[in-house]
Amino acid sequence: MTVRQVSLFLAMLAVVAQASVVGLVVVNAGSGSWPTLRRWQAAVSQTLSLHGLTLAFCVAAVATAGSLYFSEVAHFVPCRLCWYQRSAMYPLVPILGLAAWRRDHHIRPYAGLVAALGGTISVYHVLLEHYPSLEAGACEVANPCTIIWVRRFGYLTIPVMALSAFALIVTLMVFSRPTPEGAR
Amino acid sequence: MTSTSSRTRSSRTSRLRASRRRRAPSGSRTVWIVAAAVVVAAAVIALVAGGGGHKTTAGSGSTGAIAEFRPVTVTGSPLAALPQSGPDPARGLPAPELRGQTFDGQPVTVTADGEPKVVLMVAHWCPHCQREVPLLAKYFQTNGLPKGARLVTIATDTNANSPNYPPSAWLARVGWPLPAMADDAGFTAARAYGLSAFPFFCAIDAQNKVVLRVTGELSTAQLEQVLNAARTGTVPPGSP
Repeated sequence: MTVRQVSLFLAMLAVVAQASVVGLVVVNAGSGSWPTLRRWQAAVSQTLSLHGLTLAFCVAAVATAGSLYFSEVAHFVPCRLCWYQRSAMYPLVPILGLAAWRRDHHIRPYAGLVAALGGTISVYHVLLEHYPSLEAGACEVANPCTIIWVRRFGYLTIPVMALSAFALIVTLMVFSRPTPEGAR
Repeated sequence: MTSTSSRTRSSRTSRLRASRRRRAPSGSRTVWIVAAAVVVAAAVIALVAGGGGHKTTAGSGSTGAIAEFRPVTVTGSPLAALPQSGPDPARGLPAPELRGQTFDGQPVTVTADGEPKVVLMVAHWCPHCQREVPLLAKYFQTNGLPKGARLVTIATDTNANSPNYPPSAWLARVGWPLPAMADDAGFTAARAYGLSAFPFFCAIDAQNKVVLRVTGELSTAQLEQVLNAARTGTVPPGSP
């Protein structure tokens, strides 16, 4: 696969992540008012109580693999903010993987917080891409954070993809509450 | 003690196993089937629609008569790097002379020829340059090229793996009206002028002395101040 194909693949997964976040929020927010959404919410809650941690692990693993692909295969040099986001995303892979294996829902607030911090950095990085003068009026010679390596569908840059992954992990951590049918 | 601990471990393992046995209700498999279908569909679409042929390694930088790197020779002492703040140590020093070529091989020089000039260094990947160059191009198209001082553009820090490559196509696309020198792969011209950030401006007076070096996006009014600094050999108050 070429870099264009991989970036398109990851961009589509980011769109799926964004749609999932919106869907989960809408179903949970609207469950109090609409009976249909209440039924969906019950089904989603049960599914997430069983698989939420595993899904979050998969999201973190794909995001990590994508990040490593961009830096190690495509040779897109990670900037300072990219490294900050990596430092939030990479540890989530073993942490969520182990928690999913052990069905340990106690990890939710910790993983959610780390993902939220990573997402906050992503938001700043996205802003910097749109407004390069936010941080400085000039490009450092050594790999400034304002470089846009990839842009898909007109808006999906690497920080937007990272933000999508962080947002989905946070959402999964919020809504993957343990139920009696689920694990402890 | 040991047997108690072993019993506890065994009980925990049994609970985990039992818990995993419990997690295969009817809709459970559907989640993973849907997830796998989404990933496979995305992969298929990416393979079909993503096309091929994206350069991932630096090539020769040459396309026919156009080359993104051209040899540059420097005469004179290189300038110290422009500090982020404080006085510029290069002010008043002789500007290094540069002899290079445009992307298509035409000679471009920055020499002590008695003509005031402003050297502008840009990088194709730099978002600030991507905003500054079209702004200045439009200004020159409307107001004509600067008079009394020559503007010499140098495309440097060129990298085939970086966005907006190649610089020759970028400058042509934005209608840059001046010939641009292509720096070599060692960025000799940039090093000679102590470039520290992009875009980079260096005003040189008629005696070939450095009057002013500035980095960052400039408004057209600020560019006129830099050009005036080259023409007059003095830094006007309020200049960048």
